[in-house]
Amino acid sequence: MKKTIGIALLLVSILSACNKEKRFIYQVQEQELYQNASEKRTLKTTTQFISIAYNDLFGTNITNQELNQFDVSLQSFGDKSILQDMIVKSLLERTSSQIPTDANMRGDIPSFVEHAYLRFYNRKPNEFEAWKVKDLIEKNTDITPKMVYYSLMTGDEYQYY
Amino acid sequence: MKRKTFLRNAALTAAGSMVVPYLLPSGRLFAATGSRKANHVVFCLFAGGVRNLESVEKAEGNLMTNTLLGNESISSDIAPGMTPLPQLATTPLQSMGTLFKDFRYASGPTGHYNGHTTAITGKYSDEAIKLKEPPKYPTIFEYYRKHTSPSSSALNAWWVSDALGPYPYLNYSSYDGYGAMYGANAIQPANLLSSQSYSILGNPLQLSNTEKAKCDLMKGFMNGQFKTSTELLANGIKNNPDDAEHLQTFLRNIMQEVSLGIHNNPWGLGGMNNDMYNIYFGTKILQEFKPELMVINMQGVDVAHFKYTDYANNMRLADYALYKLWQTIQTTPGLANDTVLIVAPEHGRNLQPNSVIDTYGRYALDHNNDEMSRKIFCLVAGPAGAVKQGQVFSNTVGQSVDILPTIAHVLGFENDIPFGILDGRALTEAFV
Repeated sequence: MKKTIGIALLLVSILSACNKEKRFIYQVQEQELYQNASEKRTLKTTTQFISIAYNDLFGTNITNQELNQFDVSLQSFGDKSILQDMIVKSLLERTSSQIPTDANMRGDIPSFVEHAYLRFYNRKPNEFEAWKVKDLIEKNTDITPKMVYYSLMTGDEYQYY
Repeated sequence: MKRKTFLRNAALTAAGSMVVPYLLPSGRLFAATGSRKANHVVFCLFAGGVRNLESVEKAEGNLMTNTLLGNESISSDIAPGMTPLPQLATTPLQSMGTLFKDFRYASGPTGHYNGHTTAITGKYSDEAIKLKEPPKYPTIFEYYRKHTSPSSSALNAWWVSDALGPYPYLNYSSYDGYGAMYGANAIQPANLLSSQSYSILGNPLQLSNTEKAKCDLMKGFMNGQFKTSTELLANGIKNNPDDAEHLQTFLRNIMQEVSLGIHNNPWGLGGMNNDMYNIYFGTKILQEFKPELMVINMQGVDVAHFKYTDYANNMRLADYALYKLWQTIQTTPGLANDTVLIVAPEHGRNLQPNSVIDTYGRYALDHNNDEMSRKIFCLVAGPAGAVKQGQVFSNTVGQSVDILPTIAHVLGFENDIPFGILDGRALTEAFV
């Protein structure tokens, strides 16, 4: 069962102790959140995958022209996971993608993980997920926010809604 | 089915059931049981229909001088509509194989999707086939990948289509026990390998091996938390991770080269149609991956619905591309002298023209199930040690549904295909 959470804006600042740094603001628009991953049973279409990925990363809708370009590329290759991977990598590398800095992430890893799950999976991580991903980030200092986003967006759950 | 064939298949099935299964490194139970004639097959399928009148009967002269023997000149009224092309072949493909001049598309509507489906599944279909749905019966790719081991990587099977629409759906079927996991790497080069694609995909996030390993670690955990049935995740074929990396690099490099104009005029002709580009990029795939099975289609001849002279010219362009493909095969280590090339139209075209006339005064041709639209040709070319050279069958021998078993015969898995599914038989007459 989905539960409607009427949060207009969810603002969380992740700031290190001595912060002259730019504040990173996580923003989640009002939307239905899943209670858990098992509620997702419908495979995204190719256009849904592209437009949702774009919206998740840029906070704005993809243009029809660009959606069509991505979709034609995706339709033109049999192994969709390869093209989806290429699309995600390409979107993540654009300068306008909204990705927190490494310092932001490591300033408050639990909050980063929670908002990454909210952003891409439309649900909060369960207790184990929250701990495990936090643990992975803490133990691997070379893991960047882009790498976490990439992993979430190319994971099985991101194929579904 | 002939009694002899039935008895042979029954005996093989019984013998096979008594053999203790063994696990191959790929995880499959059995390797292909037959011996191979060659280790690679490329099947070029004319989409849209070619009449025997214009091909092997040369009613307009020899429009396929690199494929067919003979130097009959092209009809003078349409000759001005022909693109100037240098002659490539000193020995046309016909001399390097067996030509079935009166091959048949014997049953089912002479429509594109039916014709393609028949050639790729080895089954005639008299019913209206649903577009944008997988075929009911397994495709050649599925038979190959399921019954051939250890060469089971998806990189060994390619479906290179000239257009999108329903064609990508011909990769794999909904048949029980087959499906996406045995599909080919399907590609439509004209759209994917373009500068537009490079503009949106050409600047990706770069991950070092270490970073990739960390991502795989995270993704492995995330996927482990998402319990979804295998059926739901069967969203098309999947390459193994190493092959996927190889493919991404290959695709991105070609896109970049296209964007730099490197592939604008690779054959020095000043221009290429879609068939030529399709086959050209097919040669790039052949060179890179040396697949055991590739099916390529060419759709330029379908202009015959509106422009007869362009249809004749596109046969020539396809013929040129076919010989370029052959040259690539013969100059690529691993493929040379170890590849069988099969060329056939999916069906023919009507004897009587429609009412559309072109600028050369010629009427256009549809395909509506008349006798002429069922007459096609089939060429099987390959190494002299495997394929009979210079052999011609002028009488009616072979049909469209025989192509799939013939490919299985070449690659040694003919007898592994479950008994009773296929409509045709291997064209053993073509082989040494």
